[in-house]
Amino acid sequence: MRLFALIKKEFLHLLRDKALIFILFWAFTGAVYTAGSGFTMEVKNFPIIIYDMSKTNESRELASRFQKPYFKILSYIENDKELIKWLDSGKASMAVVIPADFKRKIDKSGAKIQIIIDGTMSMSATVAVAYASEIIYDYSIEILERKIGVTGKFIKNLPIIDERTRIEFNPNTLSSWFMSMLEYFNMITMISLLVTAAAMVREKEQGTIEQLLVTPVRTWEIFIAKIIPTVVSISLLSLLTIFVILKGVFGVPIRGSILFFYLVMLFYAFTISTLGLAISTIARNLAQAMMLMLVILIPMLFLSGAWTPPESMHPLMRYLSLISPMRYFIDFGYSVLFKGNGISYVWHDILGIIILGAILFAFSVYRFRKSFAK
Amino acid sequence: MLRRLRGILKKEFKELLRDPLYLTFALIVPTVIVFLMGYGLILDVKNIAIAFIDYERSQLSREYRYSFTNSEYFRFYSLIDSYKDAEELIKSGKCRIVVVIPQDFSRKLYSGKPAQVQILIDGSFPMRAEVMKGYVTAINTQFNEKLLKDYANRVGGSAINFPITAEIRAWYNPSLESKNFILPGMLVTTLMFYSVLLASLVVVREKESGSIFNLYCSPVKAWEVVFGKAIPYICIAFVTYLIIFFLSVGLFQTKFIGSFTLLTFATIIYLFCAIGVGIFISIVAKTQISAMLIAFIGTIIPAYLYSGFFSPITSMSASAQFISKIIPASYFMGIVRGVYLKGIGLESFTVDLISMTAYATAVYSIAMLSFRKKVG
Repeated sequence: MRLFALIKKEFLHLLRDKALIFILFWAFTGAVYTAGSGFTMEVKNFPIIIYDMSKTNESRELASRFQKPYFKILSYIENDKELIKWLDSGKASMAVVIPADFKRKIDKSGAKIQIIIDGTMSMSATVAVAYASEIIYDYSIEILERKIGVTGKFIKNLPIIDERTRIEFNPNTLSSWFMSMLEYFNMITMISLLVTAAAMVREKEQGTIEQLLVTPVRTWEIFIAKIIPTVVSISLLSLLTIFVILKGVFGVPIRGSILFFYLVMLFYAFTISTLGLAISTIARNLAQAMMLMLVILIPMLFLSGAWTPPESMHPLMRYLSLISPMRYFIDFGYSVLFKGNGISYVWHDILGIIILGAILFAFSVYRFRKSFAK
Repeated sequence: MLRRLRGILKKEFKELLRDPLYLTFALIVPTVIVFLMGYGLILDVKNIAIAFIDYERSQLSREYRYSFTNSEYFRFYSLIDSYKDAEELIKSGKCRIVVVIPQDFSRKLYSGKPAQVQILIDGSFPMRAEVMKGYVTAINTQFNEKLLKDYANRVGGSAINFPITAEIRAWYNPSLESKNFILPGMLVTTLMFYSVLLASLVVVREKESGSIFNLYCSPVKAWEVVFGKAIPYICIAFVTYLIIFFLSVGLFQTKFIGSFTLLTFATIIYLFCAIGVGIFISIVAKTQISAMLIAFIGTIIPAYLYSGFFSPITSMSASAQFISKIIPASYFMGIVRGVYLKGIGLESFTVDLISMTAYATAVYSIAMLSFRKKVG
């Protein structure tokens, strides 16, 4: 009954702050939407320039194949100076240089063209180079076929490997699916951490914590009461995110059991909230708490395995990531929601989340009792 | 007139120095971020676990398999027997890619026909899938060139050469290392969200504790409050800049060929923008918790997504390009990468610098206008 009253008090605190409610709504709808819709890691409309010294039908034909959606030709240039200017200014990211002897060499020893790529963004550069190579390769095969005399339509009828690539789970490599889910997972993490920690620190700053201490409530009751409103609001808002934003707007194929996801998500929100409480037992004011949260949150976001898969991490970072609850949750979330895996694939993730949650809860109860020893 | 500003500055600096835990953390945070990004964020796609289903197991198919595993991109995981195992490996994430070689692989190729090879790629992380696909194509292209040469020799016609080959040259970052784009980019994103976060509590904190009334009752003007609160935090953020710069260039050996003075000059303008945004949030927000949440949600992730950190702005959708145009990070990103990797000078950045200055002016004007000495 005592616990119930405390929970009610915390809910009132949360609901009284209109701005806070609005931000929570935004976090689970608008923020997820903008991350999924706006941001793309696909290479599209990659800005290129063509430096055609050959000016023959063949070179024009090749140049014309660099087209949308992957490439966008900004300009045909005439000299090296322009080339440097375009790339230095960053307006163009790639240049295709076709030498003067292009046509003659095609028939004889083979022509060499140059692809100059701006390497500042190495990832998209790699992808753009792959697209360019594919275009050049396809054109080469066509020329070969014409030469050898594969008449009629140009079918690849040479002894070559014809690759049929299937990309599982996300055949069109849509970043929107990946990004919107990642942002949703990020928001669960951020909100459970920040809101719980801030609610606790506020009591410290305003001195109302002393009032709580003189009542007969127990430490764990205070903690549970702080955690429950956050977890409840996250689970309600998640309905919006999953059904309206993920499924509705982006058409993310939810292949697994949402109920199962929910169950573990609640545990996860609980674990992260407990982390927030642990921070609040150390920090004296919100500014300090914010710094502590940054030190913990930023590594969690970047060691979550979403950007760098665990197998590519530096061994030290890989071990470090084992103590981050988010690493388990990201793996779990994509595995269950996106790949449709069952418990046999993710039991170790769930175990990780629960163990970390238990340790953190025990730690913060201990810290709290110690710092407010009666 | 400056006396009042000096008064506020003195008070703010005192308050900062009185909280050593906060100050220590203010310096620890950027250090942690640099180490994390330097060691932890590796976007190079390398050593990917690859499995094969080889229905033929001939000499040619083995040779084909080796062309994958001999590259630095792929690491041999296992040779499996069935499609079901392949799906299982990809589902569990043990393997990111499976190559299926058909039974008639070498027979078809030797008789002059194309052979179909199936490739399954784990698409749960689309960018990585895209890069893997690129590697596969590159490996196949190389293998094909060899096949064609052999074929031409066998058929006995004049030796055919492959008509067009491309020589790839990467400027500014020849080995295409992700480190060289992550660490400079991180300077931009960290200074963005960190400055906003630092400044986001300064005014609203006084609102919550009630000490804001001291300001309301005093003769200070809005601009004195705004700048008096901003300058101490610009100083902290500037120290952050120095930490990040020297760690990334000194310790992590990021390529830096430009002018430090130019970079510092641009950074100061940028910091004014970012701290201004933080102060503005702090003036508008009613509670510390909402100010902090706005700062966290509104800056950390957008700083990475819309500044052009991961991917060129030109590839984004129209609405995202718009967002990136209205945040200062995208302008600063151009300057930072230009100075770090390309070593280009002031003349290329005039527009960016002017845009940032205009941005700063706008932010401070709005902040001053929204600071009203009113209750409620």
